Parts: sequence; structure tokens; C-alpha cells
Amino acid sequence: MGHIFFLMSMVVLIFTISNRNLSHERGWRLIQYAALFFILWNLDALAAHFLDNQIAVISIRNVSMWQMVLESESDSSLLRFVYYFLKMDHLLCVPAMALLFRGLCLLHRQKKEELEARGVKS
Amino acid sequence: MMSYVPILSVDVLGSVCMVIFAFLSLGKAKSLRDLDPDNAVFLYMLWVCMGLTCFAVSRSFGHILRQFLILTANPDIWHAISPYTGTINTVSFMLVGSITLFFNQSWHINEKILSSREKLEETHVQLMELNQTLEHKVVERTEMLTSSEHKARRIFEHSLDTIMVTDPRFRVAEINQAGLGLTGYSKAQMIDEKMELREFMAPGVEWDRIRLQLESNEFILNEEVDFIRSDKTRVRVLITGGVDYGAFGCGKSFHFIIKDINEKKEMERQIAQADKMAALGELSAGVAHEINNPLGIILGYTQLMLKQPSEFDEDLRIIEKHVKNCKNVVSDLLSFSRKGSLEMTRVDVNQVLDDVLKFLSNHTDFRNVEVETGGISPGVLMISGNEQELTQVFINLIINACHAVKKQGRIEVETHRRDDGQVAIAIKDNGSGIEEDHFSRIFDPFFTTKPVGEGTGLGLSVGYGIIRRHGGDITARNRKEQGAAFTITLPDVQGEPADQGEAI
Repeated sequence: MGHIFFLMSMVVLIFTISNRNLSHERGWRLIQYAALFFILWNLDALAAHFLDNQIAVISIRNVSMWQMVLESESDSSLLRFVYYFLKMDHLLCVPAMALLFRGLCLLHRQKKEELEARGVKS
Repeated sequence: MMSYVPILSVDVLGSVCMVIFAFLSLGKAKSLRDLDPDNAVFLYMLWVCMGLTCFAVSRSFGHILRQFLILTANPDIWHAISPYTGTINTVSFMLVGSITLFFNQSWHINEKILSSREKLEETHVQLMELNQTLEHKVVERTEMLTSSEHKARRIFEHSLDTIMVTDPRFRVAEINQAGLGLTGYSKAQMIDEKMELREFMAPGVEWDRIRLQLESNEFILNEEVDFIRSDKTRVRVLITGGVDYGAFGCGKSFHFIIKDINEKKEMERQIAQADKMAALGELSAGVAHEINNPLGIILGYTQLMLKQPSEFDEDLRIIEKHVKNCKNVVSDLLSFSRKGSLEMTRVDVNQVLDDVLKFLSNHTDFRNVEVETGGISPGVLMISGNEQELTQVFINLIINACHAVKKQGRIEVETHRRDDGQVAIAIKDNGSGIEEDHFSRIFDPFFTTKPVGEGTGLGLSVGYGIIRRHGGDITARNRKEQGAAFTITLPDVQGEPADQGEAI
């Protein structure tokens, strides 16, 4: 439920930025992209949790430090393959955080230039 | 069997990167908010970053701990604590989600703040402009007021007419320099002694009527009254006044403009006197001319009849005597009216006066009269005139002075050369002076204050006629101390070349 809530809030954020016509500013556009990546990450996390915790059709069993076995009830290689990649969800949330940081950097620069143009010492 | 390395490495490195980017984002959001502390959106972004940082730290710590426990063959421990870390993760990203949902409101609030700030700035600019305009206007009005006050003050101080301000009881509150000159009192004296306007007015002035008019009509216009100065001399003035109910907390007061018309009145009196004398001269000349011829015939026939002795000789002599008296009167009238011609020569006034005084010193009337001649200017005071006529004028004036002191007093004779090219001769006595009512008539023919039979009333009028014919003037006044003073002015011819004589 938490993931769904977070996902919905990101969807709202994307639409709000669009509705406010902020997406033409690069900073806000990157934040919009960050929200998109967070949505994808949520979907990823939701799917992974659904598969291993909710319906428990797949689980990981470590056989050594570098080896593991994906145990699937249906013995579906596709399921195992999908789950394998779903477990690398950082590939989605790290770019989201990076895009957020970059977006904030651009907003900061834009604001600074704006203040300098108005002659306000920052 | 699958490789666990990609999942492990992505999990660990991703967790570390998440934490790093989360803190970098938090720092940037904070510095963004520092740029514009009033911006609600930046505050919102700071809260989002704080939530994400909590989430990143909690999640990364959970993932790293999980990998560590699994790799160290302690999956049971992980299974025991994983619900807690999961809960923390859920709470943190729900927090982020909750904050994110407020983005729209934050933006809305920020827009309102920005709009209010713009309005505030506009209002501030308008207020500044208004303030500047107000300051300019205040400066402008203050300058105008100062200038106006300065002008009013200059008018008050330098007015040649008296400007007086009194309280409702007509006590002097303010008076200008001209007023001090007119009244002769000092300002402090007037204010300290609470002198009222009434106190300056001569007895007989209808003060009650003037006051009533001021109180009922609230003004008086050109009221002609006599003022008594501090030295008790009178001065004729014209008063215009009005009431002022005051402004800015000032009380009711009366303002007066008092104009000294003494000189103007004196001039008018002199003009009227000159006109009157001219008319009298014309009349006298006409009468004298008409009477002179019959008198000459009567005198001629009388003298002719006296050549042959008869019983009427005594009567004829009486007729002759009175006809001669009449002819003298007619002759005096002719002298007064400036008719006839006479020889004009250069005459030393001092010499003429000296001769007159020597002649009169033998007169019995002057035995007890002290004649002071110390005021006679030394040297020669040359005028153009007829010596006999001038002698007649001086004798008349000195005899009049003798009669004024009742033959036992003091007569002062003074002469001097004035700066305006005139020679002035003054004959002063310490007698009883001239009554105010007589001033306008003393040069009239036949006007006399002597008992009937003791004077013809022609002496001064003849003297007036002679002096006027000499191009001079004769005036009379009462002296401040006692007695009267007659002053004759005649044109000075000291620097002019001597003529053989001219007839006028």
C-alpha cells in the first residue's frame, strides 16, 4: 500500500508540474523525470514484493557468497529471469535520485541568476 | 544456479549512491531555500529531500544489512528484523509521498506569497512615491508659508502706517515700528501697562461710538480722530480696523491700520488758507479801488475848502482827518491785495531787523520787554525785496509780540539760512499764544483780538500780502513751552548777481 501511495504521489507530482506549465524549465523537467523513475522503481518493487512475499511463487536461496538459486514453483525460466532483474531495483531509484539532484542544481542556478539579475545579493 | 554478484553489487553500490545523492539533494535543496527563504515551493522541496534522505538511509542501511547477514549465513536474523526495516522504509516513502501530494498546495501558497509580495512591492513603491510627493509638497508649502510669513512680517515691520493688533478688550498686543513713532511710547511700555486704544485718543473723540461700531459691524473705515502722543502733542490720524476671529487656536483680536494725516491736513489747511487769502485779496483790491477814488475827491474838495477860511474849518479838518484814516486803511488793503508796484533791491535782512529793533527800543511799550537777538545769524542774509515794506512787516510782528507779552515779557528774534535756499526769520514771544480757533483767521483782513478801537486788524494781513509778494511765506504756531512764533521765509539771493532794481 505504501508503494502504491508513493507511486500515486509521484503521478500527481508529474501532472502538477505539467499543469503548472513548469516542464519547460529544465530543472522542473528533470524533477518530473525523477518522479517517473520513482514510479518505475515503485512498479519494480511492487512486482518483486508481489512475487516473493505476496504469492511466494519465487524465492532466492544463496548457495555461496557469489552463487544463488532462484526457486520457482512453476519452474518458469522467464519468471526467474524477470525476478532476477526486478531485484536490481537500484538501477531505477538511483537515476531517480540523480535526476532529482540535477534538477535541484538547475533550479538553484536559475534562481541565483534571477536574483543577480534583480541585483539582490545571494 | 545463478550469479549473485550483479544483484549484490547493484544492491550495495546502489544503496551507497542513493545515500550520496539523497544527501547531495538535501544540501542543494537547503541552499536553494536559503536563496529565497520566503519561497514555499523551495521549502516544500527541502521537506521532500529530507523525506527522501530518510528513506534512502533507511532503505540502504536495510539492504546492506540484509546482504551482510545473508552472506554471513545469518538469514534468520535478517528474517527477524526485516519486517522492522521494511516498516521504516514504508513509513519514509509514505512520508515522501504525503509531502509530494502537497506540491500543488505549496505552489498555490507560493503564488499567493509572490503575488502578495509583488503587490506589497508595488504598494511600497507607490508609498515611496507618495511619501516623496508629500515631502516635496511639505517642503514647497513650508517655503511658501515661510515666504508668506516673511512678506507679512516685512509689511508689518516696514509699513509707514501704524499697524496695531489688540485683544478683544482693545489692549495693545502688537504694534509696528511706525506705531511706536506715532504714539511715542515704547512697545514694552504699551504691553506691560496694558494700554488700550482708547488711551491714545484725544479727549472728545467718540470712542464709545467707534467701539460700538467695531463690535456691531466688526469694522470701522477711515475714522478721523486725534491721537495724543506721549509728549501730549496731538496728531490727526485715520483709523481703519476690523475683527479677526483667529485661526489655529488663536483668539479673537482686532487689527487696526492707523494713518498719520497730520501733514496732509496741515497742507490742506494751508491751501484753503491761501485760497481764502487770495479771494480776500481780490475782494479787498476791488473794494479799495472803488473807495479810493471817492475818498481822493472828498479829500481834495475838503482841502480846497480849507484854503478859504470859513466857520466850517474845524468840521472840515475832522473830515480831512478821517478821510486820511480811510485812505490809510485803503492803502493797507491795497498792500494786502498785492496791487501796485514797488522797487525791489537786495536787502540784508539782519540789517533791516537791526534798524527795526533800534527804532523800537526807544518806544515806551518796550521798556519792560526783553528782546533777545542772540539767535540772529552772524553775517549778511541777503534777499531781494523792498526795505520799507519789510520794515513794516517786522515792526508789525514785533509790536504784536509786545502786545502778546502785555509789554513785559520776552521776545526772541532769530534769523538763519536754511538748506533749501530760503532765509528764515522767526519772531517768538512768551505770551499767551494763539487760540486754536484763531489760526485759520489771523491773516484775514480786519481780524483782531484787540478791543475795538485799538487795532484795525490789518497788520498781519498786510504783512502776509507783502511777504507773499516777495515770494515768501509767513506762518504762525504756538510754541511748545509758551507763547507764539511767527516765521517768515524769503528766497535767499546771497549767491546771485546784484540787480539795479526791479519793479514788481
